Amino acid sequence: MGEVKINNFKPKIVGYLCNWCTYAAADLAGASRLDIKPSINVIRVMCSSRIDQNLILTTFFGGADGILIAGCHPGDCHYDKGNYYARRRYALLKKVLETLKLDPERLQLSWISAAEGKRYATVVNEFTERIRKLGPNPINNNSYF
Amino acid sequence: MNIVPNRGAKISVKNGFRGTILEFLRNSLEKGCFDGILIPMRVPADDSYAWVLVRDKPFLDNANPIAPIVSVQGAKALTSLTRKGGGNFNVAAIMKPCDIRASIELSKLKQVNLEKITLISYDCPGTLEMSNYIENPEESEKIFGSLLDGDVWDDKFTKPICQICDNFSFPACDLHFALLGTENGSIYLIPGTEKGENILDDLGIEYSEDLSNWEKKVIELIKKKEKQKAEKFELVKPTVEGFDNLLKTFANCIGCHNCQSACPICYCRQCYFDSEVSKPNSDFILLRTSKRGGISFPLDRIMFHTGRMSHMSLSCVSCGVCTDACPVSIPVADIFSYVADKTQRTFEYKAGNSTEEPLPMREYRFDELLEIKELVKDADGQD
Repeated sequence: MGEVKINNFKPKIVGYLCNWCTYAAADLAGASRLDIKPSINVIRVMCSSRIDQNLILTTFFGGADGILIAGCHPGDCHYDKGNYYARRRYALLKKVLETLKLDPERLQLSWISAAEGKRYATVVNEFTERIRKLGPNPINNNSYF
Repeated sequence: MNIVPNRGAKISVKNGFRGTILEFLRNSLEKGCFDGILIPMRVPADDSYAWVLVRDKPFLDNANPIAPIVSVQGAKALTSLTRKGGGNFNVAAIMKPCDIRASIELSKLKQVNLEKITLISYDCPGTLEMSNYIENPEESEKIFGSLLDGDVWDDKFTKPICQICDNFSFPACDLHFALLGTENGSIYLIPGTEKGENILDDLGIEYSEDLSNWEKKVIELIKKKEKQKAEKFELVKPTVEGFDNLLKTFANCIGCHNCQSACPICYCRQCYFDSEVSKPNSDFILLRTSKRGGISFPLDRIMFHTGRMSHMSLSCVSCGVCTDACPVSIPVADIFSYVADKTQRTFEYKAGNSTEEPLPMREYRFDELLEIKELVKDADGQD
């Protein structure tokens, strides 16, 4: 409640990871003993295209400071074309958030394949740093949301 | 305007625009071009309009093809009619351009079957606000009548969303009554598709008149509306940008979801926001208050609006029924129209423009949307 000092601020990030690529990458990153910020709360989904806009908004209005959606690289989708649809949905939601200036930077989509454990660590750490600089989600300071 | 048509039939006006359209409908019903006509009709209490599927000619006497209000969106009526398929009967639907655009969107969403439907539209002068009309129907009819008969369509009495509508003429319909650009008491009847041409052939109506006069007037009015639209959007912008402003704009929202149930595009049998998933239990609600100190009810009103924006704005035709439906007078339509303009631009899509353009969420390209920079794999991020 109230003002949170940016320095002490530990962001809460929800990561929706695709089962076939990014979740495996997260596994690999763990097995490789890479440093990953503990800010991310992983939710495994079967495909990045499973992520409906409402799911993101529920997370966002529920108070998450950052949301990461990650899936297979274009062309590598386990279901052939799921990530292309995910990309379109992401672009749509991002545009809505941009238009309403509701901190669109808190939302990120990344492509991380099962072999890219190192990239997973980099993406999570960089995203955490970005959210830390951005500060807490303003929704958490307002009881009317 | 969709595609610029090049020829049309000239019809002389008898008993005003409405009488002329009705006369055409009577003829086509008599000659068997249609088995039924979907048309707005004034309700017995005289204070609203309802969509009626007319089969018998005498019933057309009470009908009003150019209704001054939109009580129910035409596409919604068409959904009720053709949800389970086109059927065996030919039906003509006489609707406003926004009704037709919504019908086209719904046909792409498989909620309307246009196979047996002939869409007939007209140059729309705009509509009046529902609340004003119900207060004083006779006065409103008079205002609308003088607006329709006026030389220049003065839109100061129409709904705000109609004032910024630049899609008032020639949607992707089968037949179009070009009310603008009349000279010597005549209007043009323009076939938009092969279906429309066949009907005119059946009725023995020649369509070889030059339309440049009408086109000129339409383009003139479109320019005026585009200017008004840009001005309006500049006014809407500061009211929706940022958490605080958005909260202020939707502060009155009572969470009735009327905007959603009136919206022709919100066709889902069960909306996420009406489902049990969106109704958390008390422990969870209390958990949510742990950071923000308190929580207001009904829950998630802003989320409902942003969720609706991200679900239906790509198909939004800016018809304005949401504003009419809002009991606390939030300018929902202006806001959604503003957001829809942005999202539809992102995908270079215009809702209801044609039956051929696929819905943006139904297709993809391999190498698109690269301007979203995180999507591009950065060199040092690679293994």
